[in-house]
Formats: sequence, C-alpha cells, structure tokens
Amino acid sequence: MTQRLLLIIVLFCFGCKKETPPDEQSQQKIILSFDFRVDGEKLQTDTMIYINEAGNHYLVNEIQFFISDVTLHHTDGSTYLIQEWKDIHYIDSDLPETQTWNVFDNIPAGSYQSISFTFGINEEKNQSLMFLNPPESFMFWPQYLGGGYHYMKLNGKWLDENQQISPFNFHLGIGQIYYSYPDSITGFVQNYFQITLPNSSFTMEKNQTKEILLIMNIENWFRSPNTYDHDKWGGNIMQKQDAMRLACENGQDVFTTVVKK
Amino acid sequence: MSRKITYHSVRASLGIPLIVILLLSSCKKEAPAPSPYQPTPYQIEIPFGFPTNLNIPADNPMTVEGIELGRYLFYDGRISGRTHPDSLMSCGTCHLQANAFECGIDHPTYTGGFPYGITGKPTPHVMLPMINLIWNHTGYLWNGAVLNIEDLVWMGVVAEHEMNSDTNRAKEVIQQIPGYPELFQKAFGSETVTMKNIGRAIAQFIRTFISANSKFDRYLHGEVQLSPSEISGFILFTTEEGADCFHCHGGYGNPLFTTHLFYNNGKDSLFTGPYEDPRDRYHVTGDPMDYGAYKATTLRNIAVTGPYMHDGRFATLDEVIEFYSHHLVWSPYINPLMHHITNGGVQLTPSEKADLKAFIATLHDEEFLTNPAFGPPEKFPDEK
Repeated sequence: MTQRLLLIIVLFCFGCKKETPPDEQSQQKIILSFDFRVDGEKLQTDTMIYINEAGNHYLVNEIQFFISDVTLHHTDGSTYLIQEWKDIHYIDSDLPETQTWNVFDNIPAGSYQSISFTFGINEEKNQSLMFLNPPESFMFWPQYLGGGYHYMKLNGKWLDENQQISPFNFHLGIGQIYYSYPDSITGFVQNYFQITLPNSSFTMEKNQTKEILLIMNIENWFRSPNTYDHDKWGGNIMQKQDAMRLACENGQDVFTTVVKK
Repeated sequence: MSRKITYHSVRASLGIPLIVILLLSSCKKEAPAPSPYQPTPYQIEIPFGFPTNLNIPADNPMTVEGIELGRYLFYDGRISGRTHPDSLMSCGTCHLQANAFECGIDHPTYTGGFPYGITGKPTPHVMLPMINLIWNHTGYLWNGAVLNIEDLVWMGVVAEHEMNSDTNRAKEVIQQIPGYPELFQKAFGSETVTMKNIGRAIAQFIRTFISANSKFDRYLHGEVQLSPSEISGFILFTTEEGADCFHCHGGYGNPLFTTHLFYNNGKDSLFTGPYEDPRDRYHVTGDPMDYGAYKATTLRNIAVTGPYMHDGRFATLDEVIEFYSHHLVWSPYINPLMHHITNGGVQLTPSEKADLKAFIATLHDEEFLTNPAFGPPEKFPDEK
C-alpha cells in the first residue's frame, strides 16, 4: 500500500508538469498600432484646415475601417498569415482601444521582408452578421448593395463649390453594377485590395516584442494616382462604383510604416 | 524526456487530494442551514442577429425573483412615496406598454404625448421608448447623461417633473406594504427595503423588454414575405440614394434599428444663447460638434411612440418623413452622416414616402406591446 501511494504521488507530481519543446518556449509578439495623419501632421478632427489635391478645403470627423489577412513575408519566401480567420481588425479614430492590436500569435523568429494586408475584408470572409456587436456591427453594408461590411467610413465635411460646408461620407465597400441607376443592380464589385507596406522589413529576435506603427495618411485617399474631387462626387459614394474605384486605387499608398525596436 | 499525462496518472493524481478532502470533510462540523436567499438566475434568450454583449451591471445580475419584484414596483403607484389616491404615480403611469413604454400621443392624461410630473411641471423632453435597452451601452435619456437604468429609477422618484418624492419616503412606504419585505428578501437577501434595491429590481424588469418578433424579424427568418411596397421601403431605408436611414437606424446587420449614438440631425440652425438646450449631448461631452445632438431612437414600434424628436415637434410619422425628405436645416454642427443636407433632405417622392412608411410599419411588434409578462400584475403583494 505504501509503495502504491508513493507511486501515485510520484506520478501526480510528474504527470502534471507541462513540458514543451525548447523551440516553442520562446515568445515573439507583434503589436500593431495605428495612427492618422494629414500632410505629415497628426490628424486634428472637426477643423477645416486641410486642402486636398483637388483644392477642396475639408475636415475629418471620424474614420472607421477594417484590415484583414495581415501577412508577414519571410526573406526565405515563406509567408505567415496571422490569426487566420480571426484577423479581421477594426480601427476607429474615436476609440483608442482599437488603435492598438496585440496580435495573439507567437511569431516565428527570423527576418521578414515586408508586411501586407487586405484593406477591408475579402469576398470569402465578408459575410453579413459575422459581427453581432458594436462597433463592428455598425459597419454593416446593406444587403441590397452587396452585404457584408463597410471597408471604411471616412466622414467629414468640405467647402463645396457654393462655399457651403457640406458633409461627405467617403465610404468604401462592395460596389454595384447598375442596369439603371440607382435601381436594377446586375452585379457586384469586390473593392477590397491588397497593400504591401513600404519599409516594413524587420528582424524578429527570439523573445522579442516588435511594435509596428501603421500610419494612415489621409490626404493620399484624394491624391494619387487619381485626383479625387468632392465637388464632382458629392457627399455619398456607396452607390457610385466609379468613385469607389478611384478611391481604392488611391488607397495603395495611403499607409506608411514605422517599425519600432 | 517528454512525459505524457495518462488517464491513469490523472486518476491517481486526483486520488490523493480526494482522500485528503474526504478526510477533512468528515471532521467538519455540521454546516448551517442553507440561506433562504437563493435567487434563480434569469437567462436572456438572444434573438437571431442581435448583439451578444448585454448591458447587465455586474452588481445587478438578473434573477427571476428580482424581475418579479421589479414588475410590482414598476406598476405600484405607492413608489411615489405617497398613499393618497391622488398622489400615486408609478413608472407605468407614463410608460405604457401599449406605447412601447412611453406615454404616446394618445395617452389619456398627457395630451399629445407631453408628460408632466405630480407637481404639474412638464418633463424637459418627451419620452423615449423602452425597447431592447439591455443592448444600450451609451447611456439613457436623449443625451445619454444617465449611465444606467438603476440611476434612472432614482431620477424618476425624485425629479420634480416626475414623482417629486424623496428616496426615504419611497422606501419607507414600500417597506410598510405587506408582502414586499418578503419579495426583497427573495430577490436581494434582505427584507429591508433600500432605494438601491428598488432601482435594481425595476432595472432588471426593464431589461426583459425585448422586441424581436416584428414582421421584419419574421421576414429575416424566412417565415413571411414583405409586400412590394415594404420591400421598396426597405431598399430606400438602406441606400444612400434612397432615404439613407440605415447608418443611424440600423437594418439587417443591426437589428436594434438604432446605434444608440447621438446625432445632430438637422432640425435647427442655432444652439447657443437663447436657443441653447442644457440637455443636448453637448452638455454631456463638452464637444461643440455635439450641439443639438440627441440619441437616435430605435425604430421598432415607432408608430406608437409619437410625438417625435426630443421636443416632440412632430406628431406623426408622416411629418417626420416629410422633415427628412425636404426640411433639413443646415448648421455647422450637423452630423456628417446627414449629407443630404445640401439638397434640404433626401427628396423622396410621394410614393417613396408611402413605401418607406410601409417598411417602417413592419417593425411593429404586437407581441411586445401585449406580452402579459411586461404588463401590470393582477394583484400587488398586499392584495394576495
């Protein structure tokens, strides 16, 4: 009986010990943080101090957007997609807690050439009622217009051609093809797009936490390669695929990156 | 050397502590009789598509007993701290179930839907409906100044434009009514009536007010079809080139039919000096962009919740639709989502207005308005 009890105690002590292979013991983490700037300066909301490429005086009230499919591109050619289906991240200029994303994954140590992501949500993942809770649920894109979620809401005002301060809703999501505008939709256009961040190479040492700052340079939405004129497109573009196409083309160079040590 | 945890080792490792616990337990003195305070947890059933995050304060979990007590208190006029028949006023005096728990334009006492308190003093704003408030995380009243329903109950008891009582009188009157102390014991573990527990009980009851069985809900479930006019109205509701309601008032992806957020929706042009409303959102946040901003109401059961807007300026839904269609007023503080301000509104045609109204009518939930569980109890505790 004594021997059996001893055996039980030994098994108890050793049996509960969790051992992991040495390679998995190191923890490498990424923190993605987000910032908003206009013409190189930190965004000042609700102040009509900005002028875009088309010469529109404008202010920004709020920005809300999704990024997804964040992928790390290793120098050996391999890629690492973080958090798979859970990687759709919401960023809101009014909600500081959304502006820092502590990525759950244990990132393999090594040298990475670049970071890329999807601006918005790809067709496969962009499913209605995927988000039930605010604030993400408030981003829903109406079923009639293609469903899923807004990629971005950028709300502001501009001084229009009549010198009237007018609101604009620079909203991006699934576009529509119309047989007769604004009724009779005959097809949808997936407007999400890939961005490879410039200057986003980094080396992840073992047990390191790497903070990477993603800066949205708001003026670039209106600058290149297309000069976006609020006077031409007006206050709303959810049903104007031509405007959304221009915006998405401009979105390629909207983000810059700062890799912190 | 890796070492796996086997079923046998787990069983063995559990065996020792179990023996020890059994030995210790056998030496323990006989436990005292269980407390009679054993409230039954109340489970909220979340309807299809609704948020899963509920606003239930950690210090006021919902229980069957708390809700039962809250129902009595909600409808008991003696909560006003008085017993004379002319001085009785309960929450239910103004918050009529048939009108989605606001007084409504057809209230027998408050003509036109403009309530006033026991003193005759009118409320500063008209009422908001009590629908699906368990999903409201942005405060209560038109400006969100009151952060939880529990505090709202206190305000109702003491405000001059409501019951004009004081919390001591209210709790003392309730304490003396046979049956209530026992109900407080069951709900909160003490027969002593406190204002805090009065607020907690009524808040629990109000959090059960869930509307999710309108025609539109059944349409989403595939149980009914909308009429062509209702479908057209739904499309208008959810398109920017249409009536453009959805950014503030929800839709398929936001079945609450409100964001519970605050917007200056273009009713007025001036908000300072003599035009200043000390109860708009600005007076909560201090942000000038919130001048003239008020909570977007849910559109569920909107047909019975007139008059409309914070000041009740519109008596009918037709007037509201007309306002959004043609009569928006520009100001520097108008919310950016009101981009149709440039044209004075969304410019609906008469048939589009009819379609939009037809769609909004599909948000009527008769079950909510007649559910006996939300209505007055047949008898109060001292009548049993």
